[in-house]
Amino acid sequence: MTEKQNQETADQKLVGLLAQFEDPGSLVRACNEARESGYNKIDAYSPFPVHGIDPALGIPRTILPFFVLIIGLTGCAVGLGMQYYANAGDWSPLFPGYNFMISGKPFFSLPANIPVTFEIVILSSAIATFLGMWALNRLPRLANPLHRISRFKRVTNDKFFLLIETKDPQFKREETESQLSQWGASVVEEVNEDLTDQQLPSWLQLAGLMTALILLIPPVLIFRAEGMTSRKPRLHVVPDMDWQEKYKTQTLAPNLGDEQHPNFLFVDGRAMQEPIPGTIARGDLYTDSEYFRGIKSGTESFATISTAGVHTGLQDAAHQDDSHQDEAAKDKPAEPAKDDPAAAPEPDWVTQFPANVHVNQALLERGQRRFNIYCSVCHGYAGNGDGLVNARAMALAASGQAQWTAAKSLNDPETKKNPVGRIFDTISNGRGTMGPYKSQIPVEDRWAIVAYVRALQGTGIKPTTMTKAVEKAVAE
Amino acid sequence: MHEVQPAKITSPIVSLKDNYLRLIPISLIVAAAGIGGALLFSGFNMQRFSFAYLTGFCCLMSLCLGGLFFVIVMHLTRAGWSVTVRRIAEIIAMCTLPMFILYLPILIPLMAGSDEVYVWNQPGWSIHGDAAEKQAVLDASKYPPPIEELKSYYLNRWFFAGRMVTYFAIWGAMAWFFLSNSLKQDKTGDKNLTAKMQKHSTWMMILFAATLVFSSIDFEMSLAPFWFSTMWPVYFFSGGVLSALAAITLICLWLQRSGRVTDEITVEHYHDLGKLMFSFVIFWGYIAFSQFMLIWYANIPEETFWFAWRINPAPDGVMTGWQWFSLLLLFGHLLIPLLALMARTVRRSKNFLVYAAIYLLVMHWVDHYWIVMPQYSDIISDHVGPAAGLAMHFKPLIDIPCAIGMAGVFVALFCLIARDRPLVPLKDPRLGEALAHHNP
Amino acid sequence: MATTVEPILDNTIEDPEHRAPLVLGGLDYAGVTDKVCSVWEADKAPKVWWLVLILAISLLMMLGACIGHLLMKGVGVWGNNNPAYWGWPIVNFVFWVGIGHAGTLISAILFLFRQNWRTSINRAAEAMTIFAVICAGTFPGIHIGRVWVFYWLFPVPSEHLAMWPNFRSPLLWDVFAVGTYFTVSLLFWYMGMVPDIATYRDRAKTKIRKMVYSLLSLGWTGSARGWHRYEAAYVILAALATPLVLSVHTIVSFDFAVSQVPGWHTTIFPPYFVAGAIFSGFAMVVTLLVPARKIYGLQQLITIRHLENMNKIIMATGLMVGMAYGIEFFISWYSGVAPERFAFYNRAFGNFSWAYWIMVSCNVFIPQLFWFKFFRTNTIAMVVICIFVNIGMWFERFVITVTSLCRDFLPSSWHYFHPTGVDVMMLIGSFGLFTTLFLLFCRYLPIIAISEVKNVIPVKSDEH
Repeated sequence: MTEKQNQETADQKLVGLLAQFEDPGSLVRACNEARESGYNKIDAYSPFPVHGIDPALGIPRTILPFFVLIIGLTGCAVGLGMQYYANAGDWSPLFPGYNFMISGKPFFSLPANIPVTFEIVILSSAIATFLGMWALNRLPRLANPLHRISRFKRVTNDKFFLLIETKDPQFKREETESQLSQWGASVVEEVNEDLTDQQLPSWLQLAGLMTALILLIPPVLIFRAEGMTSRKPRLHVVPDMDWQEKYKTQTLAPNLGDEQHPNFLFVDGRAMQEPIPGTIARGDLYTDSEYFRGIKSGTESFATISTAGVHTGLQDAAHQDDSHQDEAAKDKPAEPAKDDPAAAPEPDWVTQFPANVHVNQALLERGQRRFNIYCSVCHGYAGNGDGLVNARAMALAASGQAQWTAAKSLNDPETKKNPVGRIFDTISNGRGTMGPYKSQIPVEDRWAIVAYVRALQGTGIKPTTMTKAVEKAVAE
Repeated sequence: MHEVQPAKITSPIVSLKDNYLRLIPISLIVAAAGIGGALLFSGFNMQRFSFAYLTGFCCLMSLCLGGLFFVIVMHLTRAGWSVTVRRIAEIIAMCTLPMFILYLPILIPLMAGSDEVYVWNQPGWSIHGDAAEKQAVLDASKYPPPIEELKSYYLNRWFFAGRMVTYFAIWGAMAWFFLSNSLKQDKTGDKNLTAKMQKHSTWMMILFAATLVFSSIDFEMSLAPFWFSTMWPVYFFSGGVLSALAAITLICLWLQRSGRVTDEITVEHYHDLGKLMFSFVIFWGYIAFSQFMLIWYANIPEETFWFAWRINPAPDGVMTGWQWFSLLLLFGHLLIPLLALMARTVRRSKNFLVYAAIYLLVMHWVDHYWIVMPQYSDIISDHVGPAAGLAMHFKPLIDIPCAIGMAGVFVALFCLIARDRPLVPLKDPRLGEALAHHNP
Repeated sequence: MATTVEPILDNTIEDPEHRAPLVLGGLDYAGVTDKVCSVWEADKAPKVWWLVLILAISLLMMLGACIGHLLMKGVGVWGNNNPAYWGWPIVNFVFWVGIGHAGTLISAILFLFRQNWRTSINRAAEAMTIFAVICAGTFPGIHIGRVWVFYWLFPVPSEHLAMWPNFRSPLLWDVFAVGTYFTVSLLFWYMGMVPDIATYRDRAKTKIRKMVYSLLSLGWTGSARGWHRYEAAYVILAALATPLVLSVHTIVSFDFAVSQVPGWHTTIFPPYFVAGAIFSGFAMVVTLLVPARKIYGLQQLITIRHLENMNKIIMATGLMVGMAYGIEFFISWYSGVAPERFAFYNRAFGNFSWAYWIMVSCNVFIPQLFWFKFFRTNTIAMVVICIFVNIGMWFERFVITVTSLCRDFLPSSWHYFHPTGVDVMMLIGSFGLFTTLFLLFCRYLPIIAISEVKNVIPVKSDEH
């Protein structure tokens, strides 16, 4: 160290004079003396915060609390906003919020959001305090000329130091040193900055840059994966949870015995038992025939009481045998309808909307939206039987690649004669090649569609250019 | 850690001197005028007046108990900084004993069988309807409803009165123990008295907690005999300590403005009292929020109705007024003081602390008004179902004079007890520490 | 020159005129530094250290094996059943989180109350806090079932899930509360340690140590301006950590108390849980520090008075917990609500009454011994009592969680709870994790806040 002091070479620069004191009291006194002598680029160093050093050095109160307050209030706003966005706002096109309905509580209710908001305020304020304190102290600073002085190592143990910097206008090498000794310093030493080790070695810089770049790869990959959809099956970490050994509903249970002594789960070999005949599950009793089936009340047969709205076990049992055939024939087009209307006499359809269906603007709009979703693909937006599926199927049928019965135009004079009950039944159970929609469309929506169909039929819109294009395609 | 300096009292005046002879009549006139005015404006409607009176009483009672807590906890923790303000807390604590006389206007009618305030005092309180309907239900069955029978073991007038006597006797004895020993030390300077008070503060704290738990249930929770909350005593306690701190601060400021104990209570003590007020504002908010949150979230009818009365609008959607009181508590009792007392400079400003202390005492009254008065609304209004809101019966001409009268009572009690006694412990062994006290 | 006053050997004697010294044996600044650094500078760790470390690591490996087993097999390896769907993992979680309250309490609340005696014990207590929170975080972490999608707990935008966490759920509040608590405790602990790491840096002999401690100490010089901002930051962090430490166990108590299960839904839970947490946390600090001060010869810094003060706090918080038990019982009777009354009757006299009475004995009766000075100042006696306290506090969480669930509203679903071997091994293993971390901390980081203790050394005040 001594040789360093002596050589005032080009790569050494005097930073200041460091005086050592033995106890906090003399340090405070020296600080007072130094300040009174007009020095202002001074700092004291001690193993613990010395009482009374702040006024002695004239240290102003730090702005840290205000900084933390601002960050804390920002955290409060951000925390509340985040919760509102995530749980109450579904308007964002990118990552929209998600409305949970839980125990009937509102989507956003302040009491329930206080705890998380509070924690975010504390977290943001604490991080602001921590980082703000180091930033204001200009730390971390690993290359400090003070650390080159072996005597200074005791600043973290039991010695007290005062540094007067050369930047101070009052600083005069000899005079300052004698002043320091006069104020009670036990040792005064020069602090020199080594200009050669100001910069990091170039290989270290490069290595640091590379590491930073490599560290970026995993988050980028994760964000990429999170932001994209994938056709690959997901990773199955616990296969026996994802593929459980269980019997699916309405399947045959395997024979647990042997050929001669079959041993099934249930006597009929099913994996699931059917409801007891004559019983109806809770919520499945549809007594209002006009509303649920479109048939005038009092005229339906007993067998249809619980069947027309929803499939029940009874009906399923009746069709159990051909359900497998259905599976096999699923891709085949257009089988003749199972419930041949000719076989049974036409029920007495209602001609007026049931009492609890209120035809109004809202219902028609609802019906229009449902119609456009479910029906327009075949029947066309105007109900002229010119939907896109129909057009494509007709084109395929024309070239012999498929069989297709053209979708009906709802504006057909014959079709227009159908009572509303029959239209409802058609939607519910299908007719001809049209499939049933009762499992997709709730009852009230079916009536909305019926109302809309009636409105469409009233408009009398004629086939449009679209239909002409279809005809052209068929002709080709 | 530095050696303590020898303690010296340097203020020229450390007691009320003869001023108390002038102050007592003035404050008693204020008290009589306020309480009498409330009675007059209520049109001698004893029920309405009793509720206004009980609000003021509970407000003051919790304040005095807060003072008692302050004394006990300072001995328990061997605090040094608080020595110079402890005497004021000791006097406030001593007010608990005469508070019993102030409770008699509620207790005597109760013993005479009145159910105007505490509805559980008459059979049939758990039955909905007017008196005749209740009587009819009671006559029809030989036994009282099960909930009444169960609660009557605890909520019956003789046991209630017995408990009251016990509470006040215990509080009075504890307060007198601390005040008398502290006064004795003023003469003898015997440091063993401090050791003695520290030793006994331990079990006294337990006794204080036990009496506080049951008294808070008796005073205010039993006004709604269906309702129950295990947090209730803590809620009562937190508001009480906060108001006691505000009262101590206010009394110190007033004493110093009138030229007493000028040297002993320094800005450092105000800073600490300010910090304590700040922390008890947070504590009150924490307890109030936790109690509300748990009941609100679980939404069990047995408990929720209590808050529903104070928060929900009436069944027809009309704001009843209690919502504004609830919001006033949220902002006025928690958020505004929280932000106002946050800054160090504010807590060290005597001018500001005057307003802060008065403000907190007003909020303390609002808190108890919010607790007590909806029960009056419940009794006299024909509300619909537990989830509905209640009509508000805020009558400024009854409630505000009553509150002012209670403040007068408090000043009178304080002066009666303080008389010409020193307002600062003269020879406490830790006086030097308190005088040299300095906030980093 | 700072001269010390004559050595006092017993600092537990009460004298209202004088504050008892907190550092004994006439240690001066350098003496304190040497004393604390000797733990780290010793060439070899004490034999006991190695012995306990090996034991702790083997327990830690057992915990790791159990977690692996759990991930392979699923949560069925636990004793959790229907209706006791919260079994030991949640009991352990609440237990460890509770223990993790003492550190921040000592650093923050006692700091704000200017309790100087905190300086000798706060560092170890803070470290213990962090390790306890790590143990605590493990249990809900593995309790979520599909551990590999744990990040669904956080509000991370995800195209796959297309949904956000439910911010109204107390369990999500827990994620935020425990996460915040861990982060803030870590920042607080590390910030407090920087000046002491600088001491280690300046005394480091080997190159590796010098480099590591140089980096960790961030170039701390102890400048007056630095100390000024440091102290300001310390006050702010303490002021932030105080409501935080209350909020954490409050929110843990919300997990239970916002529900409608009798025995869970009671409004006193927040302050009662906080008092219980401080109770068990201090007991754990005493349990750890008594052997540590003996092994490392730190009796002059961690004096009997420090331990006695902690024991007093244990007794006070124990009484608060006992009072809360009493209020719960009284109000459950007073409420007149049948399920509520049954829940508490069942606790004391039902099929889990053995657990209840273990809890009451350990938490309420045994700490009453601290009324006697002998038990407050005798190290062996206090460790025994503190171990009982921690057993009691574990059983408290067991009683609350399991008893209430096993006897809910629907008698048809009533059931008993039996832990499995995995349950037991995980609890024991978590102690291995905790002890391993604590032992490593003792060896490589300053276990006493050197710079803070220097502030409370009794010196003759010649400058005043």
